[in-house]
Amino acid sequence: MRPLVLAVALTLPFASHAQDRGPILTDTVTAHILPGYSRLSEATGLLTETAQRDCDPGSPDLRAAYNTAFDNWISVSHLRFGPSEVDDRAFALAFWPDTKGFTPKALSSMIAAKDTAVESPAEFSETSIAGRGFFALELMLFEPAFATQGDMPYRCALVRAITADIDRNASAIGSDWDTYAKALTQPGETSPYRSGDEALQELYKALMTGLEFTGDTRLGRPLGTFDRPRPKRAEARRSARSLRHVELSLIALRDLAARLSADHPDIADDLDRAFGKAIDRAQSLDDPSLSGVADPQARFRIEALQQSINDIRAIASTELGPTLGISAGFNSLDGD
Amino acid sequence: MTSRRHFLIGLAAASLAPVRGWASAGAPDYLAAALFPDGTYQLAGLEASGEIVFSLPLPARGHAAAAHPHRAQAVAFARRPGTFAVVIDCVTGARTAQLDAPAGRHFFGHGVFSPDGARLYTTENDFEAGEGVIGVWNTDDFARVGEFRSGGIGPHDMRLMPDGKTLVVANGGIETHPETGRTKLNLPTMQPRLSYLTLTGTVQEQVTLPRALRKNSIRHLAVRRDGLVGFAMQWQGDKTQHPPLLGLHKRGAAPRLLTAPVAEQSTLQGYAGSIAFDARGETVAITCPRGNALHRFDVETGALTGAFGLEDVCGLGPGPEGYVFTTGTGIVGALTGKTRVSARPDCQWDNHLIPIRPSA
Repeated sequence: MRPLVLAVALTLPFASHAQDRGPILTDTVTAHILPGYSRLSEATGLLTETAQRDCDPGSPDLRAAYNTAFDNWISVSHLRFGPSEVDDRAFALAFWPDTKGFTPKALSSMIAAKDTAVESPAEFSETSIAGRGFFALELMLFEPAFATQGDMPYRCALVRAITADIDRNASAIGSDWDTYAKALTQPGETSPYRSGDEALQELYKALMTGLEFTGDTRLGRPLGTFDRPRPKRAEARRSARSLRHVELSLIALRDLAARLSADHPDIADDLDRAFGKAIDRAQSLDDPSLSGVADPQARFRIEALQQSINDIRAIASTELGPTLGISAGFNSLDGD
Repeated sequence: MTSRRHFLIGLAAASLAPVRGWASAGAPDYLAAALFPDGTYQLAGLEASGEIVFSLPLPARGHAAAAHPHRAQAVAFARRPGTFAVVIDCVTGARTAQLDAPAGRHFFGHGVFSPDGARLYTTENDFEAGEGVIGVWNTDDFARVGEFRSGGIGPHDMRLMPDGKTLVVANGGIETHPETGRTKLNLPTMQPRLSYLTLTGTVQEQVTLPRALRKNSIRHLAVRRDGLVGFAMQWQGDKTQHPPLLGLHKRGAAPRLLTAPVAEQSTLQGYAGSIAFDARGETVAITCPRGNALHRFDVETGALTGAFGLEDVCGLGPGPEGYVFTTGTGIVGALTGKTRVSARPDCQWDNHLIPIRPSA
């Protein structure tokens, strides 16, 4: 091809000082990411086995296994890059928010058609992404409307198919991380990350989008507006897990933030204090499904929790971001 | 000066619109929003040389604007999810009207006037339904006179086709809701579309990308005189992939996607901010503020003919020759064979540079 006109002129940002990002990358991968996914696939394995033994939606064992597996997913759900994005695995594990009600529609049509895809993991993995994962399982276990649709054997087969599919996806992400770990800790020619800075920026982005999702979506969707709160939009409200998701994600993000700020003790302190405040606020709420959004008094405390998450975001973007070589351009941050 | 006069003659010839109205506002070539050094957001009229002809205060951060074809009048849109847009008389600087989005709608930040200037069309979000809408406004009093579906979710940029009867809409495919900020609510099911609509909302053609590019949000548009549409995209999929960010579409044909070699493409972070054809329509370019780059391609061959490093570059329009661009660092520049700083007013230019007259 014809030679490129490559004019790197006009005020390109100074290349940030080459710093050794190796220790932070290695620490984050080995102590934050890999253990998280290993706990997840262990729990989804147990969930699948439990569903094989007992598929009754009211089964305490099955519900306990569901809760443990879901907990472990929420604790890694901010790591949205690489293995989680292959074949939309993360979306297949957690199709939420579901603004157009695709999950109940997908389940109802499977049940109505007695779709035989439930008999084959390969076929099931080709069905609608909305009818799979934890939120589909939640409807099958906790939504009364689904306790009576179709016949019991089909519902049982569907529950088993959903749990097996969850386990397949969780395990696939986990086993891909065995190799992806190297891409993140050894950036360069053969890695999607050309430098340690780029690898670290991926982790920073995971922190920021995790905070944004928890503040704006996990809390923002049920909060709606003062005049029109939306309690029924709370995440996993049927199994009373909404507040728990906020708390678990904050705990996981606090751990990630601490590792990313390891070289800057002052910033690490600021972040840790801000996370401590937010987690305290979450833990002091006694409102598992966030239904308090519709009550002015309780709502005020949920808004305060949301504000404390925004405070963490502000510290992370103004203090931590610049240490990681994050461009703070007027347009590059705009996203429009 | 010669080149500027030549440019204006060329543009006047390309357009049926008299320029008298805009001449009374100092005859700017472009509109652009910016954050000024005193901390205010303003809409500026710019010459191709980079000189600021006028600047008028905006109530909040701007995004894009629409220029009336005859009157020296601009509609400036706030950054999404804004619920109002302001109509500015660019001669007096007065705010002559305000457009308020109806209940349940917000603006996405782009709009176009009808060829006769009697109507304004705006891209909007029907956020409860999660559907895109085009709002229709009367430009005598800027009253809302109707709306129709945009043909997809998340309509962003919109242009008038050269026939004067067709709108082309970049339905980015991403559902958002003002109560959840800028969170993308439907990434696993998103389906961007380039939609061609009549001025009354009849869908004439829907263009989608191959399945593997379903997460490539079609956001910004440029239209060549002959109706060739250029579209710039923002990749929402796995960041380790580096898909094309620029496409060309001719009505009735399949879209062509243009990309730089992977070494350059991989520096763009999957994000293009603006697109334009040069004044002759021989090349097309995108700005990539996250990758600090401007990529220029030959329209005929689709080959990359230039990759230029420019910090936080975003605004882009046709120049007297080549292109004029703006950056978040304050530069107004020209790209002909190479890049050149024309002026450096101390303000942070926002995403778009809007030619006053119909594009190349």
